[in-house]
Amino acid sequence: MISRHAICAILLAMTPVISHGEDVLDRVEEALTFSGFDDQVRVRFSGLLSLEYYHHDQSATNLIFSDADNFLNPRLSLFFDAQLGPQVYLFAQSRVDRGFDPADHDAEMRLDEWAVRWTPWGDGRLSVQAGQFSTIVGNYIERHLAWENPFITPPLIYDQITAIYDAEAPGSASVFAEGITDEKYDYNPVVWGPAYTSGLSVSGQLGKFDYAAEFKNAGLSSRPESWSVTNVRFDHPTISARIGYRPDLAWKFGISASEGAYFTDHAAGDLPSGSGLNDYKQKVLAQDVSFAWRHWQFWAEVYEARFEVPYTGNADTVGYYLEAKYKFAPQLFGALRWNQMFFGDIPNGQGGTQPWGRDTWQLDTAVTYRMTPHMQMKLQYSLQHQSQLADAYTHLLAAQFTVRF
Amino acid sequence: MKTIFAAAFLAASFASADTVIEGHVELPKTKSTPVMAKRYDIVTKGGVLSTNPPVAVVYLEGSFAAPSKAQVRQIVQKDYLFHPSLLPVQVGTRVEFPNQDDAYHNVFSFSPAKRFDLGRYRPEDKPVPSQVFDKAGMITLRCDIHEHMRGIILVLDTPHFVVSGTNGSFKLTGLPAGSFKLKAWINSRKTLEQTVHLIEGSTTKVHFP
Repeated sequence: MISRHAICAILLAMTPVISHGEDVLDRVEEALTFSGFDDQVRVRFSGLLSLEYYHHDQSATNLIFSDADNFLNPRLSLFFDAQLGPQVYLFAQSRVDRGFDPADHDAEMRLDEWAVRWTPWGDGRLSVQAGQFSTIVGNYIERHLAWENPFITPPLIYDQITAIYDAEAPGSASVFAEGITDEKYDYNPVVWGPAYTSGLSVSGQLGKFDYAAEFKNAGLSSRPESWSVTNVRFDHPTISARIGYRPDLAWKFGISASEGAYFTDHAAGDLPSGSGLNDYKQKVLAQDVSFAWRHWQFWAEVYEARFEVPYTGNADTVGYYLEAKYKFAPQLFGALRWNQMFFGDIPNGQGGTQPWGRDTWQLDTAVTYRMTPHMQMKLQYSLQHQSQLADAYTHLLAAQFTVRF
Repeated sequence: MKTIFAAAFLAASFASADTVIEGHVELPKTKSTPVMAKRYDIVTKGGVLSTNPPVAVVYLEGSFAAPSKAQVRQIVQKDYLFHPSLLPVQVGTRVEFPNQDDAYHNVFSFSPAKRFDLGRYRPEDKPVPSQVFDKAGMITLRCDIHEHMRGIILVLDTPHFVVSGTNGSFKLTGLPAGSFKLKAWINSRKTLEQTVHLIEGSTTKVHFP
């Protein structure tokens, strides 16, 4: 209840700012842009200030880490973009919040992304990038930030916790078959959000095709603590690649593949003798499509993922989503997303087999109102169903207020 | 031969009868140096966005007849910028927004004088999306995909306006005689004005400091 009152108070306090917000924040934007050397060096600082509210009827779903039914999640994301002449581009993102994912932990500040990109030619045939940055796999990344994302939460495949535990290998097939038994944060999804892992990428465009490949220090399922090269080196790298086809501006098709070790060094002592971290890999094959025309946008992705699990064999899962967004009016748009994940069978250690996760479907609906070009309010309702649960349905209600500057 | 001489004399008479204001506007030093955010682009093209030096719009305020014929102007989206970035038009003008980039743009405005969103459209889509600007005011154009893109349409209740040069000089021709307010729009926060008394056939010099 306090949370709801706090949101109302903040919104009321912001009313005068909203009415004049456009011009004030345009001026802030101008003031945070700098240039020199005959405009060949340009730097811009920008940001997103978000306040999120979550209400769950049961325990929090997916990558939301709070025991409270209601909680607030403030976040400040600061961006740095710099263009150094025609060939070099740098960017960074730093966040102040209560955890990379929505959580009720103490406040922290992190450098989540940084990279330098070299583009030798003007036609886009090649770019080389080094640093800590989002994965090239799939098509969700381009809209994962609060302003561009029609929803507050990511698609299920980027959000659903599985029984994979990257810091500890299961001691037997029956232990793995028990599923999620410890703290939720110990486990991993198929793709952890934007997977801002560290490494090198090449990408470019050749006619109607585009390509990208990356060499990273950690896998798609790795947790945020593994993304920095100061924590995880390149001893067990992940390699990913993507080919895209764009018949015209409206359509984009892509196919991606990724392979790499998913256990962290902490799990090395638990592995069967004679095996190492590189013997247990996460393998992903992803297909994506997007369409946009006038006020419609549509995205879909299918992920087939395999985790090689000690004493168990292959733990396979397939997940997909279909997402549509429509602008009803210049300042109002709505979105609908249907997600599903299916889990394959594994030996249960007692001579039989069983699924290694609960098949899940999730329906997400959201509506966004942009008060100004710099402020928006988003509401989301999600209904999730998991098989094999007595209380199979969970409801999530979320609100997000964002200021972009 | 007599006819040719008569036509030349008439033309010269009309030319000399033109009522003109010319002068200079002191422009701000700052210029727009956009930085394009390319963080999540798989395909990046090299190059630096061009800059827009400041210019002013000088216009004569008064009660003037609406144009007899609907006017059409264009703002082109090219090289990830609006061209021109500042367009003055008379009330009732239709502005077309052709996309000449090999990428989607999404032109929109939340300005009170005109709220619209053109959505995403291909360069080859016909007719070219357009809007009629039927209320005076400043319209800030933006792109929903490329955050750095900015353009301004200044919708005016007068047919007498001109965009200054980048050195601040301007010349308004074909003006009526009488007393008017001459305004110089510098940016969304600054518009200068002076009263001018125009005499038919004469040139009035004005300086906006």
